[in-house]
Amino acid sequence: MIVEFGVARCAIMIAVLALVLSGCAPSSTMTPDSMPPSGSALPMDTGGPRAGEGARGGARESQAPSGGSLRELQEGKSTATQPSSPLKDLYFDFDRYDLRADARETLRANATWLQNNASVRVEIEGHCDERGTSEYNLALGAKRAQSAKDYLVSLGISGERLSTISYGEEIPTCKEPNEQCWRQNRRARFVILASRPAS
Amino acid sequence: MWVRFFVVILCLAAWPCSAKAQVRGDIIGPGMPKYPMAVSPLKNTGASGDAGKISEGIADAIVYDLDLSGWFRVIDRAAYIEHPQRSGDTLGSFDFKDWSTIGAVGLVKGRFSVVGEDVNVELRLFDVSQAKEVIGKRYVGRTRDFRRIAHKFADEIIKQFTGEQGIFNTRIAYVSTSGGRFKEIHISHLDGSEKFQVTNNRTINLSPTWTPDGRSILYTSFKDRSPGLYLFELYSGKEARWSPPAGRYLGGKVSPDGQWAVVTAETAGNSNLYLLDRNGTMVRRLTSDTGIEVSPSWSPDGRQIVFVSNRSGSPQLYVLELANGTSRRLTYSGGYNTSPEWSPKGDRIAYTGRVGGRFAIFTIGLDGGEPRKLTAESSDSEDPTWSPDGRFIAFSSNRGGRYHLYVMQASGENQRRLTGSGGDDTKPNWSPRLD
Repeated sequence: MIVEFGVARCAIMIAVLALVLSGCAPSSTMTPDSMPPSGSALPMDTGGPRAGEGARGGARESQAPSGGSLRELQEGKSTATQPSSPLKDLYFDFDRYDLRADARETLRANATWLQNNASVRVEIEGHCDERGTSEYNLALGAKRAQSAKDYLVSLGISGERLSTISYGEEIPTCKEPNEQCWRQNRRARFVILASRPAS
Repeated sequence: MWVRFFVVILCLAAWPCSAKAQVRGDIIGPGMPKYPMAVSPLKNTGASGDAGKISEGIADAIVYDLDLSGWFRVIDRAAYIEHPQRSGDTLGSFDFKDWSTIGAVGLVKGRFSVVGEDVNVELRLFDVSQAKEVIGKRYVGRTRDFRRIAHKFADEIIKQFTGEQGIFNTRIAYVSTSGGRFKEIHISHLDGSEKFQVTNNRTINLSPTWTPDGRSILYTSFKDRSPGLYLFELYSGKEARWSPPAGRYLGGKVSPDGQWAVVTAETAGNSNLYLLDRNGTMVRRLTSDTGIEVSPSWSPDGRQIVFVSNRSGSPQLYVLELANGTSRRLTYSGGYNTSPEWSPKGDRIAYTGRVGGRFAIFTIGLDGGEPRKLTAESSDSEDPTWSPDGRFIAFSSNRGGRYHLYVMQASGENQRRLTGSGGDDTKPNWSPRLD
């Protein structure tokens, strides 16, 4: 408790004294003027993030992949895709989420493997290089993962087998501040989930 | 743990008002030379020794604040002539010539005495040329909180000079790797004291933001694998998931009146802004683009949101009018503008812009106009956050190698480093005024 005495400005003190005596802590009571109107002209979408997508994603997320960048980070392991992995990473240009020709080629190869291993589910991770702000990069990573998923779906892979998540710039595979490193981090990565018997 | 503080202010006999005449107003400001101040260590008038190093500790904290403000030049203690324990701290008990000869125009002196766990402190600001006392304050507090007393008095000095209370008793919430591989939320005073670690969940935690009452921190965490928003109450130590149970949430900001939050949620690759009430219940969607809409910041009157959208092909700042849902583009310079933060004064937005391949802090007026670049693009400076009086901006920069937190005046002058942890410190968020 800090108690302060003896000030040069009485008017301010009286106001503050009143505030203290009224028992007010800095409060968060609403002033009606600043409330956004509820009946606005905006298209109302009170569903928010689609419950279906979230629920499905939630069910898959609780499955907890045995690998994946977040798990590997927590366990202190390398977050780079192993060379032995059948599903390869694909790469993007700075601030882009459209698929380059080489990315499409990688996805076609990945699609072939997925068709030959029909019970396997994967999580597609979207990543960014360290430049730019983390929130924007979380969104950009989500776009990258979705681009990869959409293309696979267009090649005939069932969307039910593919979940997506973005880690933005938060889990890079290399950390040097140069283009060679940044280029490697701008990627979509495939993580094989523990397979379930087809229902 | 955190303990509530309150200030009881008693109005004593009328203070001589004319003493204020010389030491105020138009003496400091942009382009003005820094005002020379001396801050003397305090005189110990108590019976016990100074094991807590309060005499110099309070002086050091005031010096830190005055230097941080950019308006003062504090004369080095090594040049001081008098011995603080052997001279007085009230008018007539010391010689102003000891201070005018070393170039001081303003002078801070004081006394303290430790009684049990409490310390009694008196602090005074003098006008050296007029040989007059300008401010006199008495404080009582826990001995371990002596720095807060120093910050309170520094706030009074700022008020004396500028008419507006200082912000030195505020705190910064930020993300730190502490040299490890996880990103956790931390809080500290501006001077780096009273560090407190908010999260310890061994994962990625991001984007801390203070609630307007200064009692909680809202932040993004991957602790449940899917990113969500969590609310940590400082005084109870309780943490709870705050965003709706389904969905992925990338960040959020509470409204100035504490009743709403705008959050960024991502579904099927699309990130958009949503309005939630204070309980985390969805109210309505604010943007419906198929691109990226992120990083909201409220106007001080709670009627508008500035945010980032790539609907034009690159990330730019837009302003959304909550009443009718219309958006207008704000930035046209530069190909990559993000991290907007609305000044508490309401007239400018600080943001991060990419220039020449690096990132710099800019501010732009709400009427558009040319943005002002505040940092050099020889290194990266990002994540601006305003002080509650809108006169300072804290940010993160790698100019010293790793990312550390810095503060500067809103004009870009007087850039000072705040933190020096062994890791990367990013995403600062400045608290509201605390008691």
